[in-house]
Amino acid sequence: MTDHGTPAVELRAATRTYGTGERAVTALDRVDARFEPGTFTAVMGPSGSGKSTLLHCAAGLDRLSGGEVVIDGVPVGNLSERALTRLRRSRVGFVFQAFNLVPALTAAQNVALPLRLAGRRPEPGAVTAMLAEVGLAGRERHRPSELSGGQQQRVAIARALVSRPAVLFADEPTGALDAASGAAVLRLLRAAVDHHRQTIVMVTHDPLAAATADRVLFLADGRVFDELPGGAGAERIALRIAHAQHTVVAR
Amino acid sequence: MTAAWAMVRHRFASFAGTFVAVFLGVAVVAGSAALHLSSRPQAPARYDEAPVLITPPDPGTGDDRDRQSWTAEQAAALSTRLGELEGVTAAVPDPWFYVQRVEGGRPVGDPQTALQDGHAWSSATLGSYRLTGGRAPSAPGEVVLGTASPAGTPPSQTTAGGTRAWTPGGEPKTGNTTGPTSESPARRTTFGQQAGPGRATASGTVEVLTSAGPEEWRVTGTVDGPGFYVSDREAARRASGVRVLGLTVTGDPQRVADAARAVVGAAGVVRSGAERDALEPNAVTRIRWIGAQLLIALVMLGAFATVFVVSSTCALSAAQRRRELGLLRAVGATPGQVRRMMYGETALIALVAGLLGAPAGMVAAPLLADPMVRTGLEPAGFTVTWQPAAFAGAVVLGLFVALAGVTAAARRASRISPLDALREAAADPRSMTPARWVVGLLCGAAGAALLAAMPSLPLETRSSAGLGAAMLLLSSAALLSPVLIVPLVRVVARPWRSTATGMLVREGTLTGVRRVASTAAPVLATVGLTVLLAGTVATIEVATGIDETARYPAGNVLVPDGTPGLSAAAVTAQGAEPELTTRVLISRGDRTSGMSVTGRGDALILDRISAAQLGARGGDTVTIRFADGVEAKLQVAGVEDESSVPRSLVRQHDPDALTGMLVLTKEAVAVPGARSVPIHEFVMAEIDEEGQLIDLFLLALIGLTAGYTAIAVGNTLLMATAARRSEFRALRLAGAGTGQVLRVVTVEALLTVGVGAILGGLVAVVSLAGVRAAVEDEIGRDITLVVPWGATAAVTVLCAGLAVIATAFPVLKTAPANS
Repeated sequence: MTDHGTPAVELRAATRTYGTGERAVTALDRVDARFEPGTFTAVMGPSGSGKSTLLHCAAGLDRLSGGEVVIDGVPVGNLSERALTRLRRSRVGFVFQAFNLVPALTAAQNVALPLRLAGRRPEPGAVTAMLAEVGLAGRERHRPSELSGGQQQRVAIARALVSRPAVLFADEPTGALDAASGAAVLRLLRAAVDHHRQTIVMVTHDPLAAATADRVLFLADGRVFDELPGGAGAERIALRIAHAQHTVVAR
Repeated sequence: MTAAWAMVRHRFASFAGTFVAVFLGVAVVAGSAALHLSSRPQAPARYDEAPVLITPPDPGTGDDRDRQSWTAEQAAALSTRLGELEGVTAAVPDPWFYVQRVEGGRPVGDPQTALQDGHAWSSATLGSYRLTGGRAPSAPGEVVLGTASPAGTPPSQTTAGGTRAWTPGGEPKTGNTTGPTSESPARRTTFGQQAGPGRATASGTVEVLTSAGPEEWRVTGTVDGPGFYVSDREAARRASGVRVLGLTVTGDPQRVADAARAVVGAAGVVRSGAERDALEPNAVTRIRWIGAQLLIALVMLGAFATVFVVSSTCALSAAQRRRELGLLRAVGATPGQVRRMMYGETALIALVAGLLGAPAGMVAAPLLADPMVRTGLEPAGFTVTWQPAAFAGAVVLGLFVALAGVTAAARRASRISPLDALREAAADPRSMTPARWVVGLLCGAAGAALLAAMPSLPLETRSSAGLGAAMLLLSSAALLSPVLIVPLVRVVARPWRSTATGMLVREGTLTGVRRVASTAAPVLATVGLTVLLAGTVATIEVATGIDETARYPAGNVLVPDGTPGLSAAAVTAQGAEPELTTRVLISRGDRTSGMSVTGRGDALILDRISAAQLGARGGDTVTIRFADGVEAKLQVAGVEDESSVPRSLVRQHDPDALTGMLVLTKEAVAVPGARSVPIHEFVMAEIDEEGQLIDLFLLALIGLTAGYTAIAVGNTLLMATAARRSEFRALRLAGAGTGQVLRVVTVEALLTVGVGAILGGLVAVVSLAGVRAAVEDEIGRDITLVVPWGATAAVTVLCAGLAVIATAFPVLKTAPANS
């Protein structure tokens, strides 16, 4: 949206190959992408298009074979595992499709986990406020097994947002949820962008989810082949995805 | 950190293996240590009233048997000088000699204790023993009988009053071996009542066996302590010198001890306080030593089994928690934090398990005191006392051992990538890591080296060295097992590769090599240790059997029967001369050597080793100090295979010496305290006696390891199978019935047990071959390798049974009711 200031995340000629020799697979092929602060981007693409790899590399969970990833102004390529972990801890939040919470910990403990791992004591009330913000006031002491899938995902969002990260990555956050719970989760994400200028990068293959975003990136064969504004609507997005699949099959 | 506590609380089931292992390990260590620490040397109770004891100087040969004696004259002179010291109420020499009671023609009581049961009447003061009736002994053949049961002697039953006539075969010890004399009937009855169960016969005489032979003594009184008390002069004549001089004191014993030191100088060692406890009789020390061997082995095995079980359990649970640990990494845990969390969890579990296990061990220890006394592993009267060091030590050891066990798993867990949180249950990663190769090979090399060095190690460290080598080799096999599992499974599963079960088992095992290695490890340890322990003992038993028979010609031998040795009378009754064995100290120049020699012929012969030690050759003159403290200069007549000194000198200077055994040339004449047996039978009986003790050791050690590792077998398989529930669900969806799933997991479990048993057996056989080589080298003869098939089969079946139960349980628990 804006072209001045530091992007929350930037990929420059990002390349990721798996395996060696003849069995080498290129999952990301010289991808350039910028994710500006306060924007909500959806990444779509058929299976094997490299959208998960893009997310993992952009989040510093996986390392690039070539090119560069810059998170909040910090190039991550040369960081040690420890430094990278610290960077993730302070600047990056995650929400996965499932298995998001540590089953041994209560909702409140799960939310406070990133802060505690950073050796910080959560400010009094901060965790409760965060849970209230995702609509889970009063559930602090519940364990994941006592919460529904949608509630668990909301705890995960609260945990991802509690450290006020530069960017939140969501990997199919609604993939394991029913329509109503999924919609609630998307509303939460949208609200975080609108009210707190949170940057969000979300991988999804649900056109309805993608339509919540400000921008939709389409990936195929490890390359960004198109981009639509989120306002384009779910139907156009679905059409574009179908086209992409067709393109892949045609090759 | 708090996460560790939450994890432990939440996933207690997956920590149960660690908990049980540490609990049992700490209990075993605490109990064994409590027993061991309670078993302290203690001065005999008969010195209870003598806070200061003086012993002759120690010649420094490192052998307790070489503690010198004072001659009766030296002891008397010393006690006179000491008696004049301020604060000394009495200075009493304590000569002792062999006396054993005979009842119904058979010697009774503990033979080893009997060696020191004869005392001088004056020494009763040292234990504050008082006459409970009658009068003190004065003439030869008179005795005051102890009414308390001495340590190691169960009170014997009352015997019938009738005395059997017996003519002593040796020189008559006393002129008075006749029966009742001038005692009035009334008086005798009194003795009978006061003497307690069976201590004095109603007739007022007592039948005993001494080094001279059977004797009948007249009972002049009874005393409230253990033993036989004769007149001082009698005791001095019978005893081989004086080895203890006791002081009864008034005032501060320490001051008396210091004063005594000034008087005694180099002529003796003054002992007060805890130093007195060094006077524990050798027989008791030996019993405690045997017990200590078992306890030390138990502690070693307990610690080893704990490390082994904890490491395999932790490795498995870390692998199962991949996703959870990956999630922690993804939300910001550094590798170090993950590692510390693993340590934290284990430390917490180990501490709780230890704090529960240590009291359990401490409670169990006193229950073992009695059985240990009965089996001759602790002296009579042994009681377990509260040992805080054992308690704390066991808890701390449990903590360290558990942390050692979790090290590898924690290292591995810290390398888990955050992406693992996003992956479905991953296929097994690389089964062999460089670290695994290095440590595995190092353990193997160290074990092999220890095995190879066995023959050159001192005898008393060999059993520990053997056990250590076995532990190293087994660890090595467990670490390297992934390399061997793949080819083994391929070979074993070959015949069934076309069936569905065969295919599932084969592929399931080959893709889960680490899992199989984790579950096979406890089986490997169980089977390996059992085969090795039982096989070593069996092999050595066979070897010693050959060795011992080879030493004796065919025929019969006269051996002690319930006695520590043959009396002179028992030997002369066969028309033979006693072959007395005595301990002497031989010195030449500044070299001194203590040795056991036989009284034979009339010249001094040295064996080659001693001659070399002393640097003596035929014709040299050496100084011999005999058992009674007398020194003599003798010329070495020759250097031969065995040492011997003139028979007459032994009889003169060690009147209390006994003959070990006698090779019979004709039919034996029956004598009490001796029996005639064929040589072969005698040897077998000796081996049997040793064998019984060894069997007891084996039972305890194998029981401990097998019980331990059996828990691990069950636990690891239960964990491994429970974690594969989704896999089984998929199998069911693909059309497999519960029966088929059950068959697959059962076959997998049996395959795992088979792999473990084969590897464990291989390691054990290799080690056994090493042991055999060591023994062959030692005795210079080929011996057969004995593989204990029975024990091997038994533990393998036990493991297999447990494995099947542990795998079937989670499958049945999740099985839908309608299938």
